[in-house]
Amino acid sequence: MIAEQLAANIIYGLLLGGVYGLATMGLSLIFGVLRVVNVGHGAFIMVGAFTAFWMFTLYSIPPLASIVVAVIVGLAMGFVVFMTIIRRLLDAPELSTLLATFGIGVFIEELSKFFWGPDYVGYSWDIGGISLPFTELPFTKLYAFGSSIVIAALLYVWFSRTKLGKAIRAVVEDKEGAMVCGINVNMVYALSFAIGIALTVTSGVLVTLFTPVGINVYMGGDYTLKAFVIAVLGGLGSPWGAFYAGFIFGLLENGSYTLLGLIPGVEPFGLTRFVSFTALLLILLLKPTGLLGGE
Amino acid sequence: MRKKVFVLVLVGFVLFFAGCAQQPEEKPTTTTPAATPTGPKEETLYFGAPISLSGKFAKEGQMSLWGMQVAAQWINENGGIKVGNKVYKVEIKYYDDESKKESVQSLIERLATVDKVKFILAPYSSGLTMAAAPIAEKYGVLMNSHGGASDYIFEQGYYYVVQTLSPASKYQTGFLDMVKTLDPDAKRLALVYEDKEFSRAVHQAAKEYAEKLGFEIVYEKTYPAGTTDLSPILNELKAANPDVLIGGGHFADGQLLAQQLAELNINIKAISILVAPSLPAFYEALGTKAEGISAPAQWETGVKYSPEVAEKLGVEWYGPTQEEFIKMFKDLAGEDAEPSYHVAEAAAAVLSYAKAIEKAQSTDVDRVREAMNDLEFMCVYGMWSIDPETGKQVGHDMVIIQWQNEEKKIVWPESAANAKPCYPMPTWDEKAEGKTCGS
Repeated sequence: MIAEQLAANIIYGLLLGGVYGLATMGLSLIFGVLRVVNVGHGAFIMVGAFTAFWMFTLYSIPPLASIVVAVIVGLAMGFVVFMTIIRRLLDAPELSTLLATFGIGVFIEELSKFFWGPDYVGYSWDIGGISLPFTELPFTKLYAFGSSIVIAALLYVWFSRTKLGKAIRAVVEDKEGAMVCGINVNMVYALSFAIGIALTVTSGVLVTLFTPVGINVYMGGDYTLKAFVIAVLGGLGSPWGAFYAGFIFGLLENGSYTLLGLIPGVEPFGLTRFVSFTALLLILLLKPTGLLGGE
Repeated sequence: MRKKVFVLVLVGFVLFFAGCAQQPEEKPTTTTPAATPTGPKEETLYFGAPISLSGKFAKEGQMSLWGMQVAAQWINENGGIKVGNKVYKVEIKYYDDESKKESVQSLIERLATVDKVKFILAPYSSGLTMAAAPIAEKYGVLMNSHGGASDYIFEQGYYYVVQTLSPASKYQTGFLDMVKTLDPDAKRLALVYEDKEFSRAVHQAAKEYAEKLGFEIVYEKTYPAGTTDLSPILNELKAANPDVLIGGGHFADGQLLAQQLAELNINIKAISILVAPSLPAFYEALGTKAEGISAPAQWETGVKYSPEVAEKLGVEWYGPTQEEFIKMFKDLAGEDAEPSYHVAEAAAAVLSYAKAIEKAQSTDVDRVREAMNDLEFMCVYGMWSIDPETGKQVGHDMVIIQWQNEEKKIVWPESAANAKPCYPMPTWDEKAEGKTCGS
């Protein structure tokens, strides 16, 4: 009985972790390359969620296909935001970029509210699922998980095989050196920021595959918080670390539930967050740079 | 020079605000000497209200205001409030409280001291009503809660605070009554709700009530606010195999609860979720999965409360009929507007003041408060009567709505229902094949 529930929760935790991972990669990438902390992270996730919602309700485009739309929307948004705001702040003190990205987040949320209203919306893409003896696994969640892995893998290949990807890594390692070698650092910055935002918007689509209801202009806040924890857990600035940390976070959140439930007199759900944050503290105590963090 | 200008501006400001504060004092007695000299003396009676016209409750606040104005208009068009040889016309004196506790408190103070209003309509939400209550009590003005459901407000020993809407403790009890009547064998009850003050209050009270009715609590768990995945709880719930489920908290989590029950294919005979199913967005997001899911509501367009129902129950009817009410609301709010339950709640609060003042034959606060103790009447919102001790609303019943064939139907109590309950609700598989509660 307990074993069955534990198994179910671990599977769900893994699936959720995959989505968390992708939802954090963009944040880590932007920090790693530009040293900018994107406090408006959640707003871009929200844009992705609405992309999936509108594509589905207006044009009946399945959310999986919306990923392509989300990537384009994200690249465009990232590029515009970089050119208009972030570019001017690259050499400014950290607080300026923090405030600027916070402002961007609020701006996007309020603009979305103006156009889309404050209501909670959702969609129903019922495509069945797999019936396991101890739980049901909807295909939508499996797709979300699969897409997350595929996108992360594609990004990995792009980073390690292509010239542009290598240029980005060079800038991360040594900005001056990269400049000397003729790499257009500003272009690398623009590209990284755009890719980071595109990843984030895409993860918004995956979030709705996992939870197709409760889509709202202010939904991003919770994800921002989780993304920061995961990013730190994985070593800020390391997209791959963030991806792995996402799994750990998902597992801790869902997996610990069954075990906590064995303690009499506690509300296990409220405690799962406590457990995840305690794990974060412990990991930081043992390895202050995070799981895959360098220096 | 600059200093002088500054001082001048400052003095101007002070004068301006002092002037504003004085203004209402000119008003209260607008006698109409043109009327027949032997006829009753006509006066204006002000009901004061802090209303959230901006901030997070702006939507609910606006609806409440419309409700108050509709009720006041109806009273004035139907002879006003008769006290002795005087006839009072009702007017609502309101200020925007910006959905903030601090402004609510200073506005109550202002209404009580500057505007000399004796009858106050509480602000929207339990939080703001809670903030307003001690101030009203301090100045000895009557306050009528139409948007604060929390039982806690009425357990502080305030004498001048009364309630028009059903308290939180009654939210899920009607549903349990309904299930008990429909199927006395459905005994296994599960509770899954948000870990927030309001939903806790609702479900703790419901649990006690359920035990009295003979339900067996087979599962009870809460989840934190902002949860986006309920699967750990629901995997457990499935093993508990309940007949009936009550739960929820706010909109997003209620929607999530229904969605994940469907995903995990957990079939339950009857489900009642707080808040979420009462909004059309619930059906828009879930489609046929929403069929058969119920929710408690303070009021719904289409309830059958009417002068005839009142007569059958042997209580007095007061106020506009539902058709009149909706028409007056639309004249005020616009043709496309639909009245939410906030409108009916606020209207009922105004009507209860009018009725109590007439019963007391006085506008003295203490005498009106006393008259309220055994006041009982029915209006468009349903029954109105309070517990003399606490001021809590006891007469009004929550209505239970249920999604049937893409429509929100009222299924309980029988005196308000416009459809039969759909029980047991179709299974998730049946719903996926397109079966609805009507087919």
